[in-house]
Amino acid sequence: MTAAAQERPSGAPSPAATVEAVNVSRWYGNVVAVNDVSFSIGPGITGLLGPNGAGKSTILHMAAGFLRPSKGTVRIGSSPAWRNHEMFRNVGLVLEKEAVYSFLTGYEFVLLSANLCGLSDPEEAARRAVRAIDMEAAQDRRVGGYSKGMKQRLKVAAAIVHDPQILLLDEPFNGTDPGQRLQMMDTLRRMADEGRTILFSSHILDEVEQLAQNVLVIVAGRLVASGDFRAIRRLMTDRPYTFTVSSSDNRQLAVALVADESVFGVELGDEHLTVRTSQFADFTRVAPRIAQARGITLQELLPTDESLESVFSYLVKR
Amino acid sequence: MNATVFALTLRQFARQRRSLLLFGLALVPVAIAIIYRLGEHAHQHEETASFLADIVVTAILPLACLILGTSALGSEIEDGTAVYILAKPVPRRDTIVAKFAASALISAAFVVPATAISGLIGLQGVSGEGIVIGFAIATLVGVFAYTAIFILLSVATSRALLFGLAYVFIWEGLITDLFSGTRYLSVRQYCLGIADLIATVSEEDFEANLGGVEGLVLATVVLAVALVLAVRRLEAFELTGTD
Amino acid sequence: MADRTAGTIYDVGYQRYEGVRLGRRHAIWALYVHSLRGVFGIGRSLSSKVGPMGLAVIAFIPAVFQLGLASIAPVEVEVIRPEGYYHMIEVVLAVFCAVVAPELVGRDQRTQTLSLYFSRALRRQDYALAKFAALVTAMLVITLIPQVIMFIGNALAANNFFDYVRDEWADLPSILGSAVLLSSLVAGIGLVIASQTPRRAYSTVGILAAFILTSIIAGTIFEVADKDVARFALLLSPFHVVEGLALWFFDASADPGTQLAEADFRGVAYAIDAALAALLMLALLLRRYRRISP
Repeated sequence: MTAAAQERPSGAPSPAATVEAVNVSRWYGNVVAVNDVSFSIGPGITGLLGPNGAGKSTILHMAAGFLRPSKGTVRIGSSPAWRNHEMFRNVGLVLEKEAVYSFLTGYEFVLLSANLCGLSDPEEAARRAVRAIDMEAAQDRRVGGYSKGMKQRLKVAAAIVHDPQILLLDEPFNGTDPGQRLQMMDTLRRMADEGRTILFSSHILDEVEQLAQNVLVIVAGRLVASGDFRAIRRLMTDRPYTFTVSSSDNRQLAVALVADESVFGVELGDEHLTVRTSQFADFTRVAPRIAQARGITLQELLPTDESLESVFSYLVKR
Repeated sequence: MNATVFALTLRQFARQRRSLLLFGLALVPVAIAIIYRLGEHAHQHEETASFLADIVVTAILPLACLILGTSALGSEIEDGTAVYILAKPVPRRDTIVAKFAASALISAAFVVPATAISGLIGLQGVSGEGIVIGFAIATLVGVFAYTAIFILLSVATSRALLFGLAYVFIWEGLITDLFSGTRYLSVRQYCLGIADLIATVSEEDFEANLGGVEGLVLATVVLAVALVLAVRRLEAFELTGTD
Repeated sequence: MADRTAGTIYDVGYQRYEGVRLGRRHAIWALYVHSLRGVFGIGRSLSSKVGPMGLAVIAFIPAVFQLGLASIAPVEVEVIRPEGYYHMIEVVLAVFCAVVAPELVGRDQRTQTLSLYFSRALRRQDYALAKFAALVTAMLVITLIPQVIMFIGNALAANNFFDYVRDEWADLPSILGSAVLLSSLVAGIGLVIASQTPRRAYSTVGILAAFILTSIIAGTIFEVADKDVARFALLLSPFHVVEGLALWFFDASADPGTQLAEADFRGVAYAIDAALAALLMLALLLRRYRRISP
């Protein structure tokens, strides 16, 4: 399992991949929630990104075997997820619902999970999981009195108590404060570095950008893009790229750049130029040459819209 | 059976006001028996038997099982906490059996003593004729059958309470009264049959519509079928509601 | 590009409501209609219709049965009499109330939406009144309609429709009066219990216990204790009261041998008792909503 590749073209056969969807659709009556989605992910962190109501939870529910796909198959390891309750030996699940057993203490809640997983030393496993999310101070208080962020972290602790190879998380950062968020991200990163597969959903771009090497973008039930989001951005050739350029003589450089055919817009700011171009790779090669020819020193050349946000807004509005 | 689920369910019941309500329900027959004993009675056997049949078996037993049976798993499914049990490598059969055992145990702990105590009070001063034992065993069997049915309802539908009520008060209460052929599908009739089998009172004093052996066999069949169906439903459990 | 330091609010097309604000009376009416529709699951999923509508149909069965009988019998037969009708369907009425009342008021407590209601033109008592009126209306559907069905059916089956109506017209105010009184009583008891807790299981079982167990307990007390005193226990049992008030409205007397016949109250006692109990329940309901923390 640890040998699986980071990313693969969607739909391609990939026996080693740990979470795989093949032509999966799910509809409720005549409402299609997920429409013909195929992907395959392996170890590392994958972000499931999409606006509210896009079908993220439906996909995660199907991956966890809590929804039957109307069409297609979701596989965990090599067996279908639907009705496969044994898979939870190897899978941890955190769902969005906030409800917890409010009458248990934090430690008891995690211990419950450990016991249900049939671990040989449940107490030790529960203590380790509580430590991993840094909740030792609150572990003997009743969960009913926890804040939203604490409940969220506790749910993660309960999901990782049996050290699963696969972790499915639905909006795991909901209600967490910035500190808790960073801490949980560290925990997830560490688990990913150990070779685990982590699939988490979010509609907050920041979270996905900071955490995921790999994204699946879902819009209106369809998978519209997958892979590294920087690579996705470069595939969007019909949309201009924006660079920030600063040099020893911005005004002169602007004149020279406008002359190049790959450039179709230059804005002269106080400190730097904003250049719009249709060719990402070409421009990074051409710009230094133009500057050199004019005897201008290039101080900075930065792609400014290569953020997940620009990718996302492009995909959603397309 | 899964011991963790069993213990968790007992804890869930213990902390809720539910148990207070159950305690109140169990006190009702005892209180009625005491009131009854305040008067003079010529037909203690007949009156006690019909009191146990009309109050305990008809109302207290199904109501107690209804509260516990429909909420043992139903309330967790409703509020979403069921996932913490279901997203674990525990066979669903073990989960159902544990939920069943916990709620049947608690129902029985309230209903069977209430039956026995109120029966003993009612019959105090005359020979028992097996009435108390008969009804105690009958309510115990009834607890098992009703609980299994209500657990099945709570897994199969989000309106378990409604269907449970309809079964107890409309089907068993009205339809079975009108059409005696339906007595084979009534847990109440099974219980009365079993009580009749064990009690040795004469027919004028107490007479059931169904044979005791039939009742016992049918109750076992209902118990088994309901639990098997509940397991199958839970194995195909889906989380409803989209994101 | 907009200056980042200066704030700008873009017009994205949100519109303020600038129409007339209809005020409190309309709010009560709207809540009443919404609640009444909710009782029967109108505008909700099919599964929320099954229970209440199924129970309503069951409550109609004896009336339809009488109708069928009257249409085929050569002479006028009334196997099912109006004064006995409520007694016949009292368990259905109780189950209906136990199923519907917790949905009517418990749902808003469960989902914590009461505060949203109270922050509108609606006052707390208005909320209680609208819910009460909705449940009374719903109960009327299953008490009034079968009686009317029977009346019309019997008239149609009679030798002369108009003769029957002329002879029996006095039944019509009785039907209306008894149905309103009984519906208010049952609805009041149901809502007072259901408004105490958001948990459906508790309130459903609580309501059933209030009807069925009190009936059994009162009956037992009446059987065993001194009749002169114990007969007052019957006035505390809704089922006995319902049975008694119907006798008074339809000017009938209880069958000999029944507890009601032995108790020997004048019929009007049950009607007054029912009216007082309904008012008491309404007062308790209003008090509950005056104190509830939303």
